[in-house]
Amino acid sequence: MNLPPSNNAPISRRDFLRAGLRSAALAGLGGVAGLVAWRTGADNLVWQIDPQKCLRCGLCATSCVLEQSAVKCVHTFAMCGYCQLCTGYFEPDPIDLNTGAENVLCPTGAIIRKFVEDPYYEYTIDESLCIGCAKCVDGCNRFGNGSLYLQVRHDRCLNCNECSIARVCPADAFRRVPASRPYLLKTTH
Amino acid sequence: MNPRDPFPQFDRRTFFRHGTASALALTAAGKLAGARLHAAAREPFAYDVSKYRNVDPALVRYEPVARFRCPKPEARRVSLGPDGRVYVAASKHICVLSPEGSPLAEIGCPVAARAVAVGHDGRLFAALQNHVEVFDAQGRPLAVWDVPKGRPFLTAIAVGSKDVFVADSGNRVVHRYDLEGKPLRRIGEKDAARNIPGIILPSPFLDVELGPDGLLRVNNPGRHRVELYTPDGDLERWWGRPSIAIDGFCGCCNPVGLALLKDGRCVTFEKGLPRAKVYDAEGKFECVVAPPDFFKDTGTEESVMAAEQTSHGGLDGAADAQGRVFILELASGLIHVLKPKQA
Repeated sequence: MNLPPSNNAPISRRDFLRAGLRSAALAGLGGVAGLVAWRTGADNLVWQIDPQKCLRCGLCATSCVLEQSAVKCVHTFAMCGYCQLCTGYFEPDPIDLNTGAENVLCPTGAIIRKFVEDPYYEYTIDESLCIGCAKCVDGCNRFGNGSLYLQVRHDRCLNCNECSIARVCPADAFRRVPASRPYLLKTTH
Repeated sequence: MNPRDPFPQFDRRTFFRHGTASALALTAAGKLAGARLHAAAREPFAYDVSKYRNVDPALVRYEPVARFRCPKPEARRVSLGPDGRVYVAASKHICVLSPEGSPLAEIGCPVAARAVAVGHDGRLFAALQNHVEVFDAQGRPLAVWDVPKGRPFLTAIAVGSKDVFVADSGNRVVHRYDLEGKPLRRIGEKDAARNIPGIILPSPFLDVELGPDGLLRVNNPGRHRVELYTPDGDLERWWGRPSIAIDGFCGCCNPVGLALLKDGRCVTFEKGLPRAKVYDAEGKFECVVAPPDFFKDTGTEESVMAAEQTSHGGLDGAADAQGRVFILELASGLIHVLKPKQA
């Protein structure tokens, strides 16, 4: 059978590969440009704990993929009562109100108690010791003003796609927040 | 089968029956042990106050007779009028209830009402955040008193025959006014010359009651005690100690509320581990009105466990001439009426 002559000459294998490579390179360049534009225009998201939802269950200490949890106790001093008998610092029924280990609530001794003036004491967290167990948070919230609470510290957090603590959090207190505002801090009323 | 045979031969049915029973027993034991291990593993860091919830039943000398709910949310303080009516400061209202809990009237306020008290002449004195407003018995406004200096946050009010005493958590003092609103004195301020150490308030729960002996009872939560002042501001004495034990005041800052029985005994109310107790006029622990478990199903315990209980939890109360104690749960707005048990 005689076919009419075609205007589309058959493309050679060499031309096909050349055109394909050119298109792939262009698509790659476009992708990189788009990624750069997205990264500069939109904010990344990081994990954070909503202190209004946290139930102080203790799972933050044991569920993080890190050997020492990225969740730490933080302290809003403006909310603190500077109590002599701080229920975040002392056992529920301490023998005496001093820094003896038998009186102290924190299992790692991560809270530092410093005298200010009678009868006020200042409490600060040593984050290198804090394991995020929330024992102090529970004591502070139960009796006091709730100035102690947990936050994911982003100098440690690996920002896993699927946070292993968020998966087990019974209060669904973990959520994604913009990296530009990575903390959900409590404030005074 | 020989009965003396030490190794009896089982038939297949007996063998399966014993085997099944043993397997079931082992499974049950394993589940029980597993549950305990699981609970311990889940809560290795629990802040455990459960053992302090148990109170010797012999110490509980009151029994509930009624329970009703304040019709408005955010109930803050309860008081009783000379007519036996119940007055509750709740959100932007003063709710007037019968002793059985039936709503009788509601008085609207321009801002949140924090406390209310009724004078001998039937006038209502309401502490509205930073000032006092006076209403007649029908709820018509009569007067608006001046805002005290400093950062006033009024949380309680007590009315005598000639004076009105207003607890100011913001300034950590009790203001003494005459019945027309003229300020007369500030009571409880730190004053080394008068040997007054000052009121410590980690959270805004300052209360004041006027006793039959003419002395004011003021709670000092940061020092875990009740202080007795003369109307002229002299600190006469104090009682109370910090302890989670039943005769002490638990947590960082308790008691958060006071009520006086007509013979001068004092009923105290605590938050964190909610409980109401009676102390004699000298401050010696006498008995328990309501132990922590009394509130386990009513919302107060849930509010304690919730993330934000600080300013929403706790108890307040009042006592009537028959010795009944009215307990207001701030979280739920429930009012419990308890009477002394028969001896």
